[in-house]
Amino acid sequence: MLKSFEVKGLKMTRTTVAPKVGLIRLVGLVGLLGLVGLSVAAHPAAQSGKTYRGRLAPVPLTTAQLSTVAGSGTVSAVLSGNKVTITGSFDGLKSPATLAQIHKAQRGTRGPVILDLKVTKNTSGTGGTIGGTFEFTPQQVADLEKGWLYVQLHSEKAPEGNLWGWLLLQENRR
Amino acid sequence: MTTHSSMLALGVALVATASVGAILEGGQQTPMPSVYTAAQAAAGRQAYTENCAGCHMADLGGRNEALPLAGPNFMGTWRNRSTRMLFEYIQGTMPPGNANLTDAQYLSIAAYLLQSNGATSGTQAFAPAAVLIGAVATGQAPAGATAPSADAQGAPVAGRGPGGGRGAPGAGAARGVAPAGAGQVAGGARGQAPPSGRGAGPGRGGQAPEETDGAPAAGAGRGRGGAPAARLGVTVAGEVKNYVPVTDAMLRNPDPGDWLMARRNYQAWSYSPLNEITRGNAKDLKLAWVWPMADGAGANQPMPLVHNGVMYLINTPNIVQALDAKTGNLIWENHVGPEQSVGFGSMRNMAIYEDKLIMATTDARLVALDARNGNKIWEAVVGDRSKGYSNTSGPIVAKGKVIQGLQGCDRYREEDRCYISAYDAATGKQLWRFNTIARTGEPGGDTWGKLPDAMRAGGETWIAGSYDPDLNLTYWGVAQAKPWMPASRGNSVFDSSLYSASTVALNVDDGKLVWHYQHIPGESLDMDEVFERVLVDIGDQKLVFTIGKAGILWKLDRKTGKYIGHKETVFQNVFDRIDPKTGVPTYRADIIEQKIDQWISACPSTEGGHNWQAMSYNQPAGLLIIPLSQSCMEMQPRQIAQTIGSGGVGAGRRFFEMPGSDGNVGKLAAYDVATMKEVWSREQRTPFLTAVLSTAGGVGFVGDLDRTFKAFDVKTGDTLWQTRLSTSVQGFPVSFSIGGKQYIAVTTGLGGGSPRDVPRTIIPEVKYPDKGQALFVFELPDKK
Repeated sequence: MLKSFEVKGLKMTRTTVAPKVGLIRLVGLVGLLGLVGLSVAAHPAAQSGKTYRGRLAPVPLTTAQLSTVAGSGTVSAVLSGNKVTITGSFDGLKSPATLAQIHKAQRGTRGPVILDLKVTKNTSGTGGTIGGTFEFTPQQVADLEKGWLYVQLHSEKAPEGNLWGWLLLQENRR
Repeated sequence: MTTHSSMLALGVALVATASVGAILEGGQQTPMPSVYTAAQAAAGRQAYTENCAGCHMADLGGRNEALPLAGPNFMGTWRNRSTRMLFEYIQGTMPPGNANLTDAQYLSIAAYLLQSNGATSGTQAFAPAAVLIGAVATGQAPAGATAPSADAQGAPVAGRGPGGGRGAPGAGAARGVAPAGAGQVAGGARGQAPPSGRGAGPGRGGQAPEETDGAPAAGAGRGRGGAPAARLGVTVAGEVKNYVPVTDAMLRNPDPGDWLMARRNYQAWSYSPLNEITRGNAKDLKLAWVWPMADGAGANQPMPLVHNGVMYLINTPNIVQALDAKTGNLIWENHVGPEQSVGFGSMRNMAIYEDKLIMATTDARLVALDARNGNKIWEAVVGDRSKGYSNTSGPIVAKGKVIQGLQGCDRYREEDRCYISAYDAATGKQLWRFNTIARTGEPGGDTWGKLPDAMRAGGETWIAGSYDPDLNLTYWGVAQAKPWMPASRGNSVFDSSLYSASTVALNVDDGKLVWHYQHIPGESLDMDEVFERVLVDIGDQKLVFTIGKAGILWKLDRKTGKYIGHKETVFQNVFDRIDPKTGVPTYRADIIEQKIDQWISACPSTEGGHNWQAMSYNQPAGLLIIPLSQSCMEMQPRQIAQTIGSGGVGAGRRFFEMPGSDGNVGKLAAYDVATMKEVWSREQRTPFLTAVLSTAGGVGFVGDLDRTFKAFDVKTGDTLWQTRLSTSVQGFPVSFSIGGKQYIAVTTGLGGGSPRDVPRTIIPEVKYPDKGQALFVFELPDKK
């Protein structure tokens, strides 16, 4: 299996092979990694090819807002090098979706918008998909790694936010 | 009110809105026309008294989570919001979980609230409009004032009340129409019926006794019981045969078949040494008998007591019954009163000692009944109800002393404050008090910043404590300071505010403080640390474990109060760090810097990582099995006037799912008492609403919001058996035996605070009947 990733302009190939051959290649790979060790340290996630997932659920609300804020969905981000591909879907809104964005904040807190996502709505507009592909900065990669990015979807009746969800590695959920 | 009349009212509202809007848009300081009639406000006062005063108090001053509805604290929140928003908020959310008064009632209550905040009456009937409440209250329309069209920030969670069931389809009533079955008494003939005088209507609180005559009360017309009002005192006479007095020795070493106190033993283990029910045969459990319980007038969260084959059960509101624990036959019943709702209206536990069954009442009294026949022996006042004091849990008895906590200490008072107190079990005479709020000149009195003594509130003790006879110490959790957030209190997170959010160890003889450990100094987000204190010995180590809403399991030396360790059981973002040597937490920066009206995010929410649903210590497995919840919130500190009678919790809340939980609000997990490591966990969408019961048979029991009661393997968490009951399963499961046969008892129930409010908001798809409170008893089939 071959998988490409980039570290500061160096295009590299991570290889999964038979153990003996793999050991030799691994030594070479470790040496190469040593040459760019500092760069790799600056981008610990860049070689991970990890998938980050989140459940989209209503933003903070009171019972009085249940008539306008509802729905659910899922979102995932696949990190390959510094390229991040985000896909997701949602359903059950009380009004048509309007926009979706990526925000930066510690898990469970609010933060500023950093990127816009594309929203594709179904016929009623209360369900659909979200997505986007981005070249992340090292800081954005680091934020994704530590679970500090969330997706927020808005709708006509919930213009301040309808659904949100943090992008988290499965093992970092606790 | 009919649909037509509702529409007429709305039509009037639109006309009124147009005229007021014209005034506002004119941009002039114009006298406001009155917006309600005196008759409407009078009707509103009656409706308020019947449906709201139990929580918000007769003087509208509020209590605990039921926010004040008059005065500067109310106006601080509502001044710049419209009368329409007020009406819609009340109509949509009040009473909590059962917002089904008639439109006429909601309109009149809104008129009464406006009157109580300074608005004058006139000839115009109240109709919701876009006019600002501040303008109505002052009679002056400010220049350029416009009411927001929607409250994007969310209306406050303005109050809590009893009842609280989410209506299943068809279970509730359309507005203005009495539900089918209202006025009918559930159950059969006397002796097999539920408590007398209680109807089968939706579980809700606030009914005045005169409303139980089967006819709708003025402006009401739904969910009222149909039987005549019950008289107070013994309503069903009977005698427990061959009663055996409960001794100190029995309390210290309970008979395996008995359940004599809160959580069964002084160590608060919620553990039964019975072992007939095992991992292998739990799948065969079946219903032995069921007992319908009172619906309405409070939250049903009881823990039955069982002694020598007799079960003692407390119903809402303050109704006590003795039942034959084998057959479910009623032996005697006493309506201790009060019958109307008081606060949450729950009463979790009672105590039994010698010949007395000792209970706390929701209006902050202690009452001792003769366990043989239910006759009252003595009564003592714990706190003055007129000042807001109440109780939601009962006492423990240690060395002949009845030790009782106190609830409802959130209002500013000159002299009164919160305390734990002890009473002579023989007479009810008060023996000592320990004040949980330190005042100037006392130890800890310098921990409240510059707050004058009268402005130091909170420190409730709303969960019964535990007791170590060898150390002669009783252990209690103390609730947080009030108002919840330092910005509202007028101090900071660096003012630790003793003895809030602490464990206190008191000498049973005199109530003197032996040690304290404050889990969260300067507590800021209703992260209550009041819950059970579980006493465990590991070798020579004498330990006390507890866990609060922050979901942090604490391990202390119970001789000295020294911190030993902690474990975070659910995700939390309130603290950036917890010192591994001292346990002292460091708040997140924005919590430290909180300001009035600024929303602050926090995980967990006030539902708690843990709440009143007690953990179980399964001694054979060495595990603490803990019901946990996963939800988050935003909390907004409000400006609270520092005047006598003011106070309260002073914050708005908005709830959301805990990120990373996959929407699983409920979590059940087991922790090794030696290592504090999580041994297993199980998560599900709906939260657990019962304590955990575990047994020597290696079987645990727990119930949830979605009506499921299950048995699980204490070593793995695997489900062994489950069934669904009449409504949400809520309370404290217990186990007992009669003639060598083991039984499991559990209650269903409605109502409560955050453990009900949060799921109602974030998992609204879970439906359950808004009646159906009952006691269920399970057994294994007889051996052939």
